[in-house]
Amino acid sequence: MKKILLIIQREFLTRVRKRSFIITTLLFPLLYLALIFGTAFIGEKGQTKLKIAVLDSSGKFTKARVDSANAFDKASTLVLVNETPASLEKDFEHKGYDGFVIIPANTVGTMAPDKIEIKANRTLGTASSVQSKLNTIWNDIKYEELGIDSQKQKQLNDSKLTVQVENMQDKGSNAKIASLTGYITGFLIYFILLIYGSQVMMGVMEEKTNRIAEIMVSSVKPFQLMVGKIIGIAAVALTQFLLWIVFVFLIYNITKSGSAGNSAMAVVVGQAQEVFSSLNIPQLLFLFAFYFLGGFFFYASMYAAIGSAVNEDMREAQSLSFPITMIIIFAIFILTIAMQDPTSPIAVWGSIIPFTSPIVMMARVPYGIPGTVPYWQLFLSMGLLVGGFLFMAWFAGKIYRTGILMYGKKPTWKEMLKWAFK
Amino acid sequence: MLGPNGAGKTTLIRMITGIFYPDSGNIIFDGKPFDAENDITKIGYMPEERGLYKKMKIGEQAVYLAQLKGLSKRDAVARIKDWFARFEMESWWNKKVEDLSKGMQQKLQFVITVLHHPRLIILDEPFSGLDPVNSNLIKDEIYKLARNGSTIIFSTHRMEQVEEICDHIVLVNKGRKILDGTVQQVKQDFKENLFNIGFSDAFAESELNNELFDVVSASQNSMVIQKKENRSNNEILQYFLNNGASIDSFNEMLPSLSDIFIREVEGTPLARRFESN
Repeated sequence: MKKILLIIQREFLTRVRKRSFIITTLLFPLLYLALIFGTAFIGEKGQTKLKIAVLDSSGKFTKARVDSANAFDKASTLVLVNETPASLEKDFEHKGYDGFVIIPANTVGTMAPDKIEIKANRTLGTASSVQSKLNTIWNDIKYEELGIDSQKQKQLNDSKLTVQVENMQDKGSNAKIASLTGYITGFLIYFILLIYGSQVMMGVMEEKTNRIAEIMVSSVKPFQLMVGKIIGIAAVALTQFLLWIVFVFLIYNITKSGSAGNSAMAVVVGQAQEVFSSLNIPQLLFLFAFYFLGGFFFYASMYAAIGSAVNEDMREAQSLSFPITMIIIFAIFILTIAMQDPTSPIAVWGSIIPFTSPIVMMARVPYGIPGTVPYWQLFLSMGLLVGGFLFMAWFAGKIYRTGILMYGKKPTWKEMLKWAFK
Repeated sequence: MLGPNGAGKTTLIRMITGIFYPDSGNIIFDGKPFDAENDITKIGYMPEERGLYKKMKIGEQAVYLAQLKGLSKRDAVARIKDWFARFEMESWWNKKVEDLSKGMQQKLQFVITVLHHPRLIILDEPFSGLDPVNSNLIKDEIYKLARNGSTIIFSTHRMEQVEEICDHIVLVNKGRKILDGTVQQVKQDFKENLFNIGFSDAFAESELNNELFDVVSASQNSMVIQKKENRSNNEILQYFLNNGASIDSFNEMLPSLSDIFIREVEGTPLARRFESN
């Protein structure tokens, strides 16, 4: 036991002290934020602002209406012009317009909806802003023609039915937040399995190619060496998570205290509060830790077995680990189904079978326990995962002890199974 | 322990160090059945394929490996400092293994092997890659360890080193022990009663067909003979003196371990090698 602790300590410390660990731990959240704000920024700045000339034959599109529509939405500009269609078509580009629309006179006369075309000399992409502006003006005209005053307008607009699904077993669970939370946690586990799983594989390969494996196994049992490495690396991943959680907590508190005079920030904080209140955070964190560790032990054992079987050639390792990577990717596929329909049979079974349960269960849990995930499913899934990783560690340990001192040709999966069951 | 490539030396060592389990048979360590869990700390093993963590600092690595052998951190640090001083390696503590030359790595590997004062030390080709100066340094340390009561198993196919260093040899081939004994005794067991006789004057070979010996090879000033059974050396000497030879030297040719090795592994008798000359 003392030896395993020593191995865990070494695996943990050598990794945590590496510059790359510190850099990724610090940079990942920053990059993540930059990505979110960057895409929002690019989305806003990258849009072309269309300037469209409006030739109104109905006489109802008044300057006042157009101006008020323009003031409301800056993504495009409508300009009323007073020209003949022929002259407009000839020189709208010279006058600085991206395109022009002609409002037919009969549209307003018959109150019939019409298809309005923006005519341009190039493809303008989506013109949703122009469409919504024209509709705003069009609504205004309709209201006036039908004699609906502003109070009735308000009644018309505000009296809409909103449909929200509520699971009576899980009061307060919010489907949108639950599916987003499931997506984030499931993906985090997916990344850990792939990134840290391959770290286990490369760590084992390093020991094998450096030929330190033989020195090590003359001091400790191969199984102790393998388990020590897996736990050590799991501790590294856990540390990284803990740091990120602390990071998020700090940012949340800083924005909260800084949001007093800033309405945009207050909105963000309010949303965060809504998310936190609709989720059972301690339960979620516990299950996340459980499925993360269970899934990691389950898959890391397999990666360790592969690392022990191959030589220094990364391609050999990749070709042997391909089937395992495929299963993990398949789990992500089930996750996307489970996010939308957490009680569908594929989501239920995917969250019980240990090959996919670490990822899929995380998509179902935020919807609520025991409403969406009955206790029997949760406990069956947890029990199978524990049993699964114990079996996997035993199985991989058999391959590992043979493979770690075996040099030469790359074994096939069939040969590795023979090592395990001989 | 001697044996040709693939004889099973490393496999045997791996069983003794608890890495492999024997299919049959027992390993007795210190008079008791081998208990890998506890006895492993009494064994120091230096494999033929040397290996260390390349990116780890040398001092840290030595401490880590010593702790795995059951030393406390404090003891480990003290002993490593002591060994590093003896081998003039003090300045290496914070270097990484990848920065060392092959010979330096070899010395480090030796230190790590014997650091925990093992009762049994297993060295697989300990001198490969070392220059003569460092070879002697290690050899002296091995003698010292042996004098202090450690048993040393030395696995090699370098015969001259075996004759120089070993007390007792075991020859294995195809997974079986084929001979076992002290170096002197093995040589005695394998002698083929060959004698080399030197003459000060040219000895003309006359009719030497006799009851005492067979001639294996002969030149002007020397002759290799094989004594027949139950004949004494004096009888042979007498025979030559009677035939007017002036004898310069008369030596029994004991086989070298290398000869025995080849004979046992290939089944070539010693005498035939002289016949072809």
